[in-house]
Amino acid sequence: MAVIKLQDIARSYKVGQVQVMALKKIDLNIEKGEFVSIMGPSGSGKSTLLNVIGCLDRPTAGTYELSGKRVEKLRDGVLADIRNQFIGFVFQRFHLLPRLNALENVQLPLIYRGLVGKERRNRAKKALEMVGLSDRIHHTPSQLSGGQQQRVAIARAISMEPAVILADEPTGSLDSGSSKNIMGVFNQLNREYGITIIQVTHDEEMTAYGDRVIRILDGEIEKIDVVNAS
Amino acid sequence: MDKKNYFYSIFVRWWFAAKMAMHGILANPLRSALTILGVTIGVTSVVSLMGIGEGARQAVVAQFESLGANVITIKAHHVSAEFDAEYTKELVERVDGLEMATPVIQTKALMRWRRTRGHAEIVGVNNEFPQVRDHGLLAGRFFTSLHVKQRSKVAVLGYNIGIELSGGRNVVGQTLALNGETYRIVGILSQKGAGNAEDIDDKIVIPYTSAQKIAEKRTVEEIWGKAAGKREADLAVVQLSRIIKKDLRMGQSAPTGKGGGPSEKETVMRVSNGEMWVGSKPQSEEESEPPLPEVGEDIVTITNLNQLVKEADNANRVMTLLLGGIAAVSLLVGGLGIMNIMMVAVNERTEEIGVRRALGAKQSDLLLQFILEALYVSIIGSIVGIVTGIWGLKLFENIGFQTAISLKAIRIASVVALTSGLLFGVYPAVSASSVPPVEALRRQ
Ligand SMILES: Nc1ncnc2c1ncn2[C@@H]1O[C@H](COP(=O)(O)OP(=O)(O)OP(=O)(O)O)[C@@H](O)[C@H]1O
Ligand SMILES: [Mg+2]
Repeated sequence: MAVIKLQDIARSYKVGQVQVMALKKIDLNIEKGEFVSIMGPSGSGKSTLLNVIGCLDRPTAGTYELSGKRVEKLRDGVLADIRNQFIGFVFQRFHLLPRLNALENVQLPLIYRGLVGKERRNRAKKALEMVGLSDRIHHTPSQLSGGQQQRVAIARAISMEPAVILADEPTGSLDSGSSKNIMGVFNQLNREYGITIIQVTHDEEMTAYGDRVIRILDGEIEKIDVVNAS
Repeated sequence: MDKKNYFYSIFVRWWFAAKMAMHGILANPLRSALTILGVTIGVTSVVSLMGIGEGARQAVVAQFESLGANVITIKAHHVSAEFDAEYTKELVERVDGLEMATPVIQTKALMRWRRTRGHAEIVGVNNEFPQVRDHGLLAGRFFTSLHVKQRSKVAVLGYNIGIELSGGRNVVGQTLALNGETYRIVGILSQKGAGNAEDIDDKIVIPYTSAQKIAEKRTVEEIWGKAAGKREADLAVVQLSRIIKKDLRMGQSAPTGKGGGPSEKETVMRVSNGEMWVGSKPQSEEESEPPLPEVGEDIVTITNLNQLVKEADNANRVMTLLLGGIAAVSLLVGGLGIMNIMMVAVNERTEEIGVRRALGAKQSDLLLQFILEALYVSIIGSIVGIVTGIWGLKLFENIGFQTAISLKAIRIASVVALTSGLLFGVYPAVSASSVPPVEALRRQ
């Protein structure tokens, strides 16, 4: 069953008098438990696509079904709840809140879920354990390395046990060692917990961890490659 | 989600918003402190300036209250219009609500006390004076109607004179001389305070019959009456003016034989400053030996003291509000400070806003957080401002101002501070919560 069903999705921006088509006509299905990489040149619309999938942005045309539910026209407040329940975001620049420690950062989505006390802490601790950071839970972002920060961000994304993790260039600010480490974490989450993962990357090497590679050019899907399991 | 969980989750979000708002304040302690200072200065000035205004008001009110409640004074401005003492009784009978009255004659006399001499100001009244002017006695008793009737030589000393003469010992029962005649001191009036109650503290009160002898006249120039209540006082003034006007026309008021009285004159009445004038032109300087009043000159004034109190009170109230208004402007400036800082804070935290929105925060969560942050500033500012305002009032008190900690001022200041915090916090909060999440994440 497809968790994500995009049909004729378009997203355009109006810049002055000019209409910029960031996404032109995207048809895409992503199955539950898939690990998909999105590649393409800069400005081709990868982030825009990911934002639409993540319900951070609404398409200007087309239909979008997430877990069997049409979401493209929902109110902002409802989308916030959907993001909270179904989607985990991982960003290139980590985007951790600097004044909160790792444990508190991971608890953020749980707070918006309304969880309290022990349950919230335990789930956050478990998520940090899954990314191998049990020994750093009281560190603030500035006390962690880039790779560690990204792992905290991943823990934050999985703490809500989302259906999908969306990662926009998750290794874009990391060295190759840390990048491999992060990919290992994704791989494990995908294999062991069946979490659907969609990542945007510029690095051909990173696509090796996924099942499919979606190549985008000028807001359209150029082609889709299937990665051979090695 | 069931209902209980729903409310629970809302509570968790609010609690978190409150916590994040606190983080926002603490993230930049110096900046927050300066913003709070802006509010504090505003609240302080409202509380202290209004406190000073209120103090002035209370001082004036106290001064007028010392005159006695519901007192009506009737004063003749020309010998020809002066009253016969018996006229007092007549007025009490004829005017509803006028409970009692005393003839009043003010004069001076040479006083001798033991080996010292001096001039003394004399007030001649009847035995009802203490009730009319709400005046208590410090020692001894007031003289009686019998004393008045028999033209007894008894005196009640004003507070200051009483204290001065006695030097701590009891003077009641002793004697002093006025114009060479021996008067027995029967009592000492209690204190009214400097400048209050027409400086009665510095005068000597004797029966008006005796005072008439000192002044060498058979009339009295004033009558002080007491009405049963506020309403009665208002009505009594109207009745009094009608009666006196009529009596003046008929020449009954001054059966002294001096002059023909003002009976031929047109007398016009009007009300101004709570005083009833019988006559048509403001009163002119009075000479010691006045000629017959010109046509249209004021000859009798009837004054409702309640009205004076009210007016003085109103004038002061306006001043207090004016002071408060001026101070409130500085509160407004404090509010603008809040707005300024909140705009900066929102701008600085767009990234945070974006992340939180991505993780499931709603617009209302951010709205609440930023409004709370603005409110914290104004709440802390108000509390500190009230404390320093009260402390400032104490300072003013020490340098001689009469002040009053005005609850009204505190209420006004905190309401204005909180609403301005709210008002000026809303715009930044709305702008924070309405940034699209994608935008917020993209911005650096
Ligand atoms: N808010 C916006 N207003 C106007 N145009 C926009 C906006 N956001 C994106 N675009 C345009 O949409 C197109 C796609 O942008 P997008 O960020 O999706 O590219 P990308 O593939 O993620 O590029 P990169 O690899 O550099 O991150 C670009 O041409 C960009 O200029
Ligand atoms: Mg991008």
